Amino acid sequence: MGQWTGYIGLILDGALVTIQLTLMGSILALAMAFVAGLARLSRFVAARVLATAYIEFFRGTSIFVQLFWAYFVLPFFGIALSPLQAGILALGLNVGAYGAEVVRGAVQSVGREQYEACIALNLNRWQSMYRVILPQALLVMLPTFGNNAIELLKATAVVSLISLSDMTFQAQVVRAQTGNTLVPFATILILYFAMASAISYGVRGLERRMARGLDGVRT
Amino acid sequence: MPSPMIEIDKVCKSFGEFQVLRDLTFTVAPGEKLALIGPSGSGKTTILRILMTLETINAGHIKVDGDHLWHKPANGNLVPADEAHLHLMRAKIGMVFQLFNLFPHMTVLRNVMLAPMLTKRTGRKDAQSRAMDLLDMVGMADKATSMPAQLSGCQKQRVAIARALALSPKIMLFDEVTSALDPELVEEVLNVMRKLAAETDMTMLLVTHEMGFAHDFADRVLFFDGGKIVEEGKPDEIFRHPKQERTQAFLRKIIAAGHRV
Ligand SMILES: Nc1ncnc2c1ncn2[C@@H]1O[C@H](COP(=O)(O)OP(=O)(O)O)[C@@H](O)[C@H]1O
Ligand SMILES: [Mg+2]
Repeated sequence: MGQWTGYIGLILDGALVTIQLTLMGSILALAMAFVAGLARLSRFVAARVLATAYIEFFRGTSIFVQLFWAYFVLPFFGIALSPLQAGILALGLNVGAYGAEVVRGAVQSVGREQYEACIALNLNRWQSMYRVILPQALLVMLPTFGNNAIELLKATAVVSLISLSDMTFQAQVVRAQTGNTLVPFATILILYFAMASAISYGVRGLERRMARGLDGVRT
Repeated sequence: MPSPMIEIDKVCKSFGEFQVLRDLTFTVAPGEKLALIGPSGSGKTTILRILMTLETINAGHIKVDGDHLWHKPANGNLVPADEAHLHLMRAKIGMVFQLFNLFPHMTVLRNVMLAPMLTKRTGRKDAQSRAMDLLDMVGMADKATSMPAQLSGCQKQRVAIARALALSPKIMLFDEVTSALDPELVEEVLNVMRKLAAETDMTMLLVTHEMGFAHDFADRVLFFDGGKIVEEGKPDEIFRHPKQERTQAFLRKIIAAGHRV
């Protein structure tokens, strides 16, 4: 049993990397989702075209390829990233593209009458969006954002391909060193599930807090 | 005679192929209470929405408080209004909607305070005390901390009236503000409007199917059909002695439907 403590320690080190990737990747994804999602609704054609190109490209190509580009190809253009940076970049941009469609859909789901009330109250575009539309849209986005964050968590395993020692990578190391498959992979199964549950729980709590008193949108 | 508060001059409005307003022309005097009545689909809502700049016009001119609404003068010519000009014009006009359109994610008080704080840079304290005064006037002060979802339709509408008043508009537009309400509670909203008419010199345009209310409330009534004014006059003339066949038919139908005139 004693030897396993060390191996479990290895996997827990990997878990920290996975958590880091998930957190930083989600922050980048969230930022990209809002920038691209709102740009798709912009009055300006250029903004819409750029956002659409980004979204279609990152949804239409595989996360593997995106990661390999971030890590192996960008250096040819003078941008050398650490494995962690490359992982965060690929995951954030990829999930951000899906998130952008969520933002767009949620903003569009807020009724026309809310925009009209804003005009009648003489709010400008920015005030309407920031004070009236987005707070309502946020509630619509949250559940899907929670799913996206879990997808991102699961996708972090791909970074083991660029030799970043995340949880999956460490499990493979332990398996190679001990010849035992069950223990390391059962361990990471439980850890991934625990992390995903933590995300679900957090998002649901946030949803409940935001929905307080706000019937008709979602409770 | 003072210069009009609203001048509508040969305004045309189409949705696609369908022409809603044809060469519509009328004026509204400052402080006048004007009721717009007519069958559904005759373009009454469209007129209010155009005045609130929620719809554009296809032809004609509109002046509000002496300034062009949809145009602005530039080097002696009239050019289409830009956002900045519309912003100035919207400050003069408030609108109350049939379905209230309150902001569901804010308390009643925040609903009323928001626009003055954002568009007039009113300080929080001043905005709050003014909002409380207005809520008091509409009988909703005790619900200031409630969320809109906790209110009845009639309460929501009274909050919506307070919210529109918070910007101190010169003109108020009411679009069938009681038609989505429980018939027993309609009076509560109508009482607020009576009080408003008695205590302020705001110009008010009222689209309504409450003929009894229109009769007491309005200085003048316009009867619309097919995007045109068919008949206009003092409430007594329109409701007691309508001259036009179409006005008579409309009023007969309204009475048959159980509305009191
Ligand atoms: N956004 C729109 N698109 C197309 N048709 C519209 C639109 N708004 C109103 N209409 C049409 O214009 C006509 C007048 O509508 P409205 O002004 O709402 O009439 P009222 O308020 O007198 O019932 C109706 O036939 C309606 O269907
Ligand atoms: Mg109407």
